[in-house]
Amino acid sequence: MKTKKRTPYFYMLPGVLMVLLFVYIPVLTNIVYSFFRLSSYSAGQTFVGLDNYRRFFTDPVFPIMLKNNILYCVISLIVQVGFGTFLALVLDSTLIKGKAKNFFRNLYYMPALISLTAVGLMFTFIYEPNIGFLNKVLEIFGLEGHSWLGDSKLAIFSIIAMSQWQFTGYITLLMVVAFQNVSQDYIEAAKIDGAGPVKRALTIMLPLAKEQLLVCTIITVIGAFKLYTEVYATTSGGPGNSSQVLGVFLYQQAFLHDDLGMAAVTGVFIFVVTVALSILQIRITRSGEI
Amino acid sequence: MAKRSVCKFFAYALCILLSIIILLPLGWIILNSLKTNPEMFMDSLALPESVQFVNYVNAWNKGLYQYFGNSVFVSAVSLIMILTLSSLLAYGITRFRAKGSTLIFLIVLGGMALSEQVALVPLFKILNATGLYNTYAAVILPYIAFRIPFTVFLMRSYFISIPTELEEAAIVDGYNSLQIFLKIIIPISKPIFAACAIVNLNFVWNEFLFANVFLNDKTLQTIPIGLMTFKGDLRTDYTTTLAGLVIASLPLIILFFCMSKQFVKGLTAGAVKG
Amino acid sequence: MRKRSWKRLTAAVLASVMALSLAACGGGGSGETQAAAEGETQAAGDTGAADSGEAASGDQITISFMHRFPDEPYNSFINAKLAEYEEMHPEIKFDINATANQEYKEKIKVVMGGNEKPDIFFSWVGDFTERFIRENLVLDLTPYLEEDPEWKDSLIESQIAQYTTDDGMVYGIPFRLDCKLFFYNTRIFEENGLEAPTTWDELMDVCEKLKAAGITPISFGNQETWSASHYIGTLNQIFVPDDVRAKDYDPTSGEFTDPGYVEALEYYQALLPYMTENPNGVQPDMGRTMFTMEQSAMYFAELIEIPYMQADNPNLEYGMFKFPEVEGAPGNQEILTGAPEGFVICSETEHPEECVEFLKWFLGPEVGKEQIQEIGWFNAAKGTTDGVTDQALLDGYDTIMNATAMGPWLDNALYSTVCDEYLTAVSDLTNGDVTPEEAMARIQAKAKEAQTLVATGATEEE
Repeated sequence: MKTKKRTPYFYMLPGVLMVLLFVYIPVLTNIVYSFFRLSSYSAGQTFVGLDNYRRFFTDPVFPIMLKNNILYCVISLIVQVGFGTFLALVLDSTLIKGKAKNFFRNLYYMPALISLTAVGLMFTFIYEPNIGFLNKVLEIFGLEGHSWLGDSKLAIFSIIAMSQWQFTGYITLLMVVAFQNVSQDYIEAAKIDGAGPVKRALTIMLPLAKEQLLVCTIITVIGAFKLYTEVYATTSGGPGNSSQVLGVFLYQQAFLHDDLGMAAVTGVFIFVVTVALSILQIRITRSGEI
Repeated sequence: MAKRSVCKFFAYALCILLSIIILLPLGWIILNSLKTNPEMFMDSLALPESVQFVNYVNAWNKGLYQYFGNSVFVSAVSLIMILTLSSLLAYGITRFRAKGSTLIFLIVLGGMALSEQVALVPLFKILNATGLYNTYAAVILPYIAFRIPFTVFLMRSYFISIPTELEEAAIVDGYNSLQIFLKIIIPISKPIFAACAIVNLNFVWNEFLFANVFLNDKTLQTIPIGLMTFKGDLRTDYTTTLAGLVIASLPLIILFFCMSKQFVKGLTAGAVKG
Repeated sequence: MRKRSWKRLTAAVLASVMALSLAACGGGGSGETQAAAEGETQAAGDTGAADSGEAASGDQITISFMHRFPDEPYNSFINAKLAEYEEMHPEIKFDINATANQEYKEKIKVVMGGNEKPDIFFSWVGDFTERFIRENLVLDLTPYLEEDPEWKDSLIESQIAQYTTDDGMVYGIPFRLDCKLFFYNTRIFEENGLEAPTTWDELMDVCEKLKAAGITPISFGNQETWSASHYIGTLNQIFVPDDVRAKDYDPTSGEFTDPGYVEALEYYQALLPYMTENPNGVQPDMGRTMFTMEQSAMYFAELIEIPYMQADNPNLEYGMFKFPEVEGAPGNQEILTGAPEGFVICSETEHPEECVEFLKWFLGPEVGKEQIQEIGWFNAAKGTTDGVTDQALLDGYDTIMNATAMGPWLDNALYSTVCDEYLTAVSDLTNGDVTPEEAMARIQAKAKEAQTLVATGATEEE
């Protein structure tokens, strides 16, 4: 297109400026903050070097948080991305009729539309040991109920289960969309070659939807390490610290204990982990696009 | 053929089972939102003696209407700005072959990997210093900035697929680049706008972290914050809270079911091509 | 064709924007009034009157007011009283903000770090407010009380004493009086031939008999961890001498090495077999609901919970007893756990006079009488019991009046990181994941760290 050289940059400028101002600059500032003892309501601001980092990594809660975030990440990858993709293949296959296909797809996506706080509050009711839905249903089947959010061993798993309930359909929808883009020519060609549905899925559908799969895994992994609302709205990290995660810890350090430096360190840690994992995943699935 | 019907049976069985898993808890929530507190306490699976629509009225009057209005305002402004800035940015990147546009795209895309938590503390300080803390702008500006990367990502792949012939014809007609954007690109990109609208609305409507920290005034707070205030410390009105949850969740669900066709169409077009 | 669809799109966008903004305006009634109020204060600023920091008479004054009672009927009561005051004083407008307990603890710290600090805000006694005092953010009320002896005399001294620092600075005025007592179901006790226990051994005995009869002796929910702190706070008073406790609760000198702390946790552990199963999975108010629905025999309750109980089950017959005494324990058994909760004024307010005047009324005898009648909470003004017929309320009031000493809520008495560790450790202890010794070791570590945190926080380098 023949235009002045500067023209395209004018279109890009406002958006880029917003991203730089409100995403990049705060993230970089955060790194600076991590070397200071900072408070939100006192003027005190002391350079403490790596002391915040020392406190962060030696905090007994640190391994618990790391374990919980990783658990969330791994289970979400298996259930949301793994099972979600399988579900998308089922919905994309000819096994389910067209109308039913759309119905199920939309229904599975529905929980993703409910706000995290609402889902969190709903599940505190559902998990309630005395009147909650889950124990009541188990009771009908003669099974023993549990104190889902009150048991240190179960709490984080109960929260993870809640997230799978909410977000599996989201990934399914994204993958259905990707499968629809796979050209029918390839599929027909494979059929002629005598490839069964399973083989078609493995050799054609998945490889061709690789990029979308990458996007889904990245979203899931990043989501796992910035996990916050789900835990905040249910256990706030309890009982004890058993369901503590990085996101809630950061928030509590900043706004409950007024230890902004420690919060900044937590932020830096989340930043390093998510960026490193994203790069790693892109490397693994490396291809020309993007 | 018999094998196929077995597969079919299992496929349907799986889909129906999953539907039940999704619908039953929601059904239980709705059921109990129509009961009295003692009824729920005594048997949360039983039907209510008389249907308590009053819970919904109470939830609405308890301030939900105000949170609702705020959410509508914040979401509308954020959404319009996200779509405008992202489409301009994607347009600039894709349609000019400008120098450095790939680099700019990568920088913007990199924003996707940066999470809200990491920016929380500095943003809090910045908003305070600029006097924006506790105004609508305190959440709207970060929402826009944090949603541009993903939106540009979706729009870019859509814009790339638009054939250049259309623009070339327009240039012959004497259109400048802005006119081309407004009169050619936008009209044929409606599906991707619809898809981006839903994806972003879902984020903005439900966002909790920024709203919780940056908004203090009840007259500004959005629905997710409002829901948390339903949880009293010494006394939670369970059934009213449940009614509030239902009210807060319905708009997006209804909107989605109305727009699901365009949404999927847009996402399909915007998705990475296989 | 294309042209037309573009026009349609623009029209649609415009229409939806307008509809949305209309909905936003129509939605929030008080939003409008607030905006209007802001406009007016701004107008006052434009005429140059605001420079001195005090608005000239006739101008609008907006007082921002933050509290933690968003639930009914308290929220409505507070709103109604503030509206009443606005009517009496047309120049004053309130900007009210309410957030529930746990969120309030975070929110107020965020807000106090910002530029828009509230003029009047709810704050607990103990380190919760004192950390703001350390940053000079709280108005010293002592001179105002000295100036107005009539006001000073109208307030119950023992309760004001709670809102006083060790240096004698009065920083807050109570809104509601409170203390922690065991409530027991008299019907269940009679049916099992039991009497209200006064000593720990008697309590254990009662619990054992109830449990044998298939009744949950004590209902308890600790999903929100402050709940257990009421037991621990009381037990600490019993097992740790006053001076040691005072030293440890102060973040600059806290160590928590006294063996009494471990003993307190052990006694708490001894209660657990008689409490609701898995209390960590039960909301605190669910514990009360179980008691009011007669599914448990006892419940360690706050006085202010009486109205809730009566609302849930008006037929409930119950009595109260103080936390039982432990024979030979080294601490102070006279202390009644519980502290008044009230309001403080921010030192940076532009209208200190107006705020004080308002608190005199809002927390005074006139409103106090209505308050106890309407929402069942006493404030700290004298002579508010006239016309109160509810015996439970009167008994509770007498308990507070007769207490020789009161102990603050543990979770507000401690520095926030120490408090957090304490509550977390107790939560772990409740689940049987740590021993009392292990729990105390964790708390000691945090207390040590807090000492350095408070020290570095104080070195201001701007």
